[in-house]
Amino acid sequence: MTGRVADAPAPALPGFPRPRARRRELGLLVAVVVALAIGSLSLGLFRTGRPELADPQGLLLFAAGLLVAHVALVVSGRRLDEVLLPAAAFLGGIGLLVMERLPQDLVVQELGPWTLGLGDLQLLWLGVALAVATTIAVVYRSDRWLRLYKYTWAAAGLLLLALTFVFGSEVNGSRLTLEIGPFAGQPSELLKVILVVFFAAYLAENRVLLADARVRVVGPLTVPPLAYLAPIGAMLALALGIVVIQRDLGAALLFYAVFLALLFLATGRLTDMILGLLLFAVGFLVLAALFPHVQERIATWLDPWSDPLGSGYQLIQALHAFARGGLVGVGLGAGLPEIAGRPPIPAIHTDFPLAAIGEEMGMTGVLAVLAAYLVLVERGLRIASSSRDDFRALLAAGLSLVIGVQAAIIAGGNLKLIPLTGITLPLVSYGGSSMLANAIVVGLLLALSDRGAAPLAPPRPPRLARLRRRPGGTP
Amino acid sequence: MTAGRGPGRRVPAVAVALVLAFGIIAAGSSYWQVIRADELASSPTDAAMLAAARTVVRGKILDRDGRTLASSRRAEDGTPYRVYADAAVSHPVGYAAQLYGSAGLERAYAAELTGARGSDPISRAFAKFLPPLDRGLDLRTSLSLAHQRLAVSLLGNDRGAVVMLDPRTGEVLVMASTPTFDASGIANPATSRQTFESLREDEASPLLDRATLGRYVPGSVFKIVTAIAGLGSGSVSPATTYPEQPGAEEDGLVVSGYTIKDGHHPFTGDEELDLLSATEVSCNIWYALAGLDTGGANLDAFARRLGFGEPLPFDLPTATSQLTNGGGPLPGGFQDDVELANAAYGQGEVLATPLQMALVAAAVANGGELMAPRLATALVDRQGRATSIEPRSMGRVLDPASNAAIVAAMTLAVEGEWGQLFTEGAKVPGVPTAGKSGTAQLGGSGEPHSWFIGFAPADAPTVAIAVIVEQGGRGGERASPLAGRMLRAWLEAQ
Repeated sequence: MTGRVADAPAPALPGFPRPRARRRELGLLVAVVVALAIGSLSLGLFRTGRPELADPQGLLLFAAGLLVAHVALVVSGRRLDEVLLPAAAFLGGIGLLVMERLPQDLVVQELGPWTLGLGDLQLLWLGVALAVATTIAVVYRSDRWLRLYKYTWAAAGLLLLALTFVFGSEVNGSRLTLEIGPFAGQPSELLKVILVVFFAAYLAENRVLLADARVRVVGPLTVPPLAYLAPIGAMLALALGIVVIQRDLGAALLFYAVFLALLFLATGRLTDMILGLLLFAVGFLVLAALFPHVQERIATWLDPWSDPLGSGYQLIQALHAFARGGLVGVGLGAGLPEIAGRPPIPAIHTDFPLAAIGEEMGMTGVLAVLAAYLVLVERGLRIASSSRDDFRALLAAGLSLVIGVQAAIIAGGNLKLIPLTGITLPLVSYGGSSMLANAIVVGLLLALSDRGAAPLAPPRPPRLARLRRRPGGTP
Repeated sequence: MTAGRGPGRRVPAVAVALVLAFGIIAAGSSYWQVIRADELASSPTDAAMLAAARTVVRGKILDRDGRTLASSRRAEDGTPYRVYADAAVSHPVGYAAQLYGSAGLERAYAAELTGARGSDPISRAFAKFLPPLDRGLDLRTSLSLAHQRLAVSLLGNDRGAVVMLDPRTGEVLVMASTPTFDASGIANPATSRQTFESLREDEASPLLDRATLGRYVPGSVFKIVTAIAGLGSGSVSPATTYPEQPGAEEDGLVVSGYTIKDGHHPFTGDEELDLLSATEVSCNIWYALAGLDTGGANLDAFARRLGFGEPLPFDLPTATSQLTNGGGPLPGGFQDDVELANAAYGQGEVLATPLQMALVAAAVANGGELMAPRLATALVDRQGRATSIEPRSMGRVLDPASNAAIVAAMTLAVEGEWGQLFTEGAKVPGVPTAGKSGTAQLGGSGEPHSWFIGFAPADAPTVAIAVIVEQGGRGGERASPLAGRMLRAWLEAQ
């Protein structure tokens, strides 16, 4: 299929596709780099008083990485979406600017002969992310290995989670970090991708059954038979388990919200979704009644000023940062006052980059970042709605939502709209695991956008149907 | 069959939900970054404000004649610190110190004084496009340093407070609280710790601004509030007399078993008392009866119009003046008629700040309309451009006709044959003066608090005053002559 270029003048190599120009993507990438250069200029002007770029090498390397990714996509010859990469690059670039602007010693890592600070590390991760996303976009052709081994994926994900439960180290009261030798990572970031793949495969296979085989409960309220509900129940248990054992409210909310959205997309049953929300609310209330740390989180959210130097400190400082920024911000490099050499928000690079953006780039900057997420999600959902089969549609929708909902949860937490949870602002926050997971998401979305890809093998009959051999089923 | 259509067809619904969520987040951003921005960014606990306090030279604080009340000096290591003109102004001006934060106007106007905030909203919003301020704005106040000094010296070694303001504009001319403290000592890094610690341990609590934060039993000065509520609600008229009087005066008036007594019977004798004469001789029985007629609901409503019940709209934090402890079954929160009757002449559970009682006098002096009290009158930038802060009305408390009756009653209480006996020394020679003295019984054996509120000239008031001297004895002994001296000094200076 790859070399079907009969009327092409001269393919460079046999078996390789003809390169396909991506002018729109190139134009948007140039716009992104120009915007970042202006930001870097503003930062440099503030730091040195001279009109110069704050970190020309970093910017150059990032631009070079984008160019390489762009060329790789052109050379691959696939008909991939041309807006996804620039939107992701815009968010990554803003994150890079913020990390370069923050005190570099917030995170320091020795890597061979080099000592890398916050900005360098973020640049490194952005490079890795670009490589991962581009490779997936170019290489991923067939869905089979994702959809056929869905239970293997789910098992791997649960194993990862179990490892974190058992061996995870506690950071800021949440058991999120898994350390294996020199490597430390947050498995829940990778888990979100794995779970979306599993949901998409499971729901694509069983969606008709879930929607149509109903058991009446009361009056017009019906639910799917217990056998089909079991995975949903398991999911609910998993989400609430994460809250209890990992103390990771954000991840639980993210998994569950994305799951409910996919369930709705698959079955079209609004009542199932409302029921799911109610169950989550009830479960959450029970947890809040049982566990003091959940109560404390809620109390801090409702009134951070009751403990301004303790549990409410970070949130109050973030709200002050947003307030200082105002409409247009104080300017890159001019804000984020330091108290004894430290930024007032300790977790600014992981949990509160939006506060940094809000202060230095103002509400304008915050809205721009929100808009970039919406563009990203819109492209993903567009891919979903024009997908040829259910699995691809659900996968594309789930991947887009994972980014969109995660951004909404942490942004809402930063702005005191919902209780604060320690998840990252996708593609902006510092952090290798998060960057890697979101790179996989962007890469898969790019790959799924290719409508010229190989047609799929006919899907296997649903598992339960095979077992039961329903009357009137395929002979 | 619901699932017949593919998942792709339902994507728009999910998209709409997400767009809605992002819309709410954008609204949250505008709430914190626009609506609440000014308040948070200029709060003295803001990180940027704290950082600025270490480097920026604060603007000056000036009195109404341009005299410097607060200015800055640099220590040997270059860090700026504050110097204050006089301990007499320490309470309203406050202090700004590295170790102990800030208080008073230094705290309330920290953003403007440190230049973190421009004087107008437009330049505030676009501050990043303007050259940075190397020095904060100057703050012009309505205080008069000379009269502030006089008030503190007249209070002498007593604890107490004097609040004097212009009833027409709400400008606070004097806001003195004794004992005062050495604000320069707190601000100077060399003496800061020692000064602050010894002030904190002083049992006279000199750091407490009694004028705004001290809550006192008002005694008879509160009768003016009862008169306002009674006339304003139509429950009493200037000619109202009570059949219980003068009969009840000798042995006291019994309300639900509690006896209210009076001391004026020996010289009023069989005289029938109306509003004017009852005010002149400070008759508890007339006011207790008037309070019962007016009722708790009306008394509460009119007290609230005057500022009771919540912190005052003012440049500095104020304690809340109260009519009752709240929670009682009767209207207004009173427990029973005894409490209401006692409250009507300023006892019971009534507590008021000196600033609040000055506002009562000011409302009457201004024809029944209450102007919001204020200290800050203008912000001045380095080029001398001033942005003035305009007077603000707190609304009309009482109609002009009823108000005129209270002016007449208060004038009688200072100028009248009997009134003079209670308010000795309050009269400004050659100027018609109005006022009301108060003697706040505290229970126990201690001397009562001595109160006076009033204004002058009574026919066209330009100045209103409240004076309290803690345990200064009867109102006429200590507070009245002090107020008279202050009013006279002010009118002579004009």
